[in-house]
Amino acid sequence: MSREEYKKYFDVLELGPDASLLEVRNAYARLKKLYSADSEMLSPIADEFPQKQREEILKQIEEAYKNLLGLLKSEQDRMLRPEKPLTSEDIQKRKEDTAAYSGQRLRQIREKMGIALFDVALDTKIRMELLQNIELEKFDSLPPEVYLKGHISNYASYLLLDAKKVVDDYLRRYRAWRSSREEE
Amino acid sequence: MEASDKEQEGKIWAIGGGKGGTGKSFIVSSIGSYLASKGKNVVLVDVDIGGANLHSFLGINRPKKSLTDFFENGTPLSKLALKIDGENMYLISGDIHSLASDSIRFTQKLKLFRHIMKFNKQYVLIDLGSGSHNNTIDTFLIADKMIVVLEPEIIAVENLYHFIKNALFRKLKMLLRDYGFKEIVEHMWEKREKYKIENLRQLIDCLKSSFSYIGDILDKELAEFKINLILNKVRSTQDVLIGASIKSIFLKYLGLNAQFVGYIEYDDTIWRAVRRREPFMFNYATTRCGREIEVLTENILQGKEIKLLRS
Repeated sequence: MSREEYKKYFDVLELGPDASLLEVRNAYARLKKLYSADSEMLSPIADEFPQKQREEILKQIEEAYKNLLGLLKSEQDRMLRPEKPLTSEDIQKRKEDTAAYSGQRLRQIREKMGIALFDVALDTKIRMELLQNIELEKFDSLPPEVYLKGHISNYASYLLLDAKKVVDDYLRRYRAWRSSREEE
Repeated sequence: MEASDKEQEGKIWAIGGGKGGTGKSFIVSSIGSYLASKGKNVVLVDVDIGGANLHSFLGINRPKKSLTDFFENGTPLSKLALKIDGENMYLISGDIHSLASDSIRFTQKLKLFRHIMKFNKQYVLIDLGSGSHNNTIDTFLIADKMIVVLEPEIIAVENLYHFIKNALFRKLKMLLRDYGFKEIVEHMWEKREKYKIENLRQLIDCLKSSFSYIGDILDKELAEFKINLILNKVRSTQDVLIGASIKSIFLKYLGLNAQFVGYIEYDDTIWRAVRRREPFMFNYATTRCGREIEVLTENILQGKEIKLLRS
């Protein structure tokens, strides 16, 4: 439904049809107070206008607010969210987005961006072999943690990712592997 | 003047509002000065029965001749009108004693306004003074722009409501008299308990439902019954919202479309200027208050409302 169809509700709240959600909220709060039972502004004319009429006005205000809130919230949602409902692929994608970074994910992201490992090596000055070992999580072939940290951060920045989060996630996996090996 | 194209017709502006001391005379003199400064010809007419003192706001002494001379001796207005120094503006003073009663008939008043228009001035600003007497209301009703001044306090709200209610009731009677319905309005109002009428809105609704063919006339006339609302002596944002509240009450309770054209913030400069008998707009046009006068006058001219940041 268009805003024009909601004109009567905008009229009740004494607003133009281009009013924003904030304006609707403010008008509602103001009018609700104005037509409340203990309204100071109404006291001089309270004897002329029966309570029933005041309650009727309040009812219209409530109704208008409820309807306009629905309209404006759905408008706002449409602006924030995609038009189409989410597909199972979208949901999978979102899951991936929020998941922890692993060597495999770094490779997926790199491939999706169409970047060859060779190019990464060239630009980051990280050896190709090392990059490969990072992606394949060949932990026993990787350099000590203090060096590894710098390489991962470098690589992540190159892929325009949050370097700190990538380093944290990756090192968590690396340490888990190391501690399991030490137990053996 | 760029605004002149958009200007609606409106020659007689009447400023009232029921309660005394809300700043009507100050506002009349200031609006007049502003219009005059824009090259308009302006006549101020003081019919304040409680105390014609508009001259004090213009920094001049009480004019020797008043409207009494016009009504009783037929003195031409050109001899009554006092030119205000340095401004394109004239003052015609009322007289406390003669106008204190309702002795001046409405037809005499109409004659007065005809003469004022012939006096060839573009804008006639009438200071109605306080009160809601029939004489005052009738003058208010013939104006092209009906302007009321309110201050943010409950007594002023009460008086204004009374003033507007009287104006609307007289308007109704006048209107329906032209269609031969005058007695019916009075009858319905007198017997309002029988008709279960508690207020003016219900009277109008009752008239409409009883005589469907006058419904359209009433709707049209009431849509044109536009009150211009000015809020004076404002001290806070909450005070400004009173203007919006009055507009809402008039609309929802009386079905009247009031225009909230502007507000004037409380300012000590004003009463100091009045005390020193200085014409305010002449000396203080660039102050905040001067600009507020400018905004509200332009809004009246253009039939617009003030834009409030918070609605």
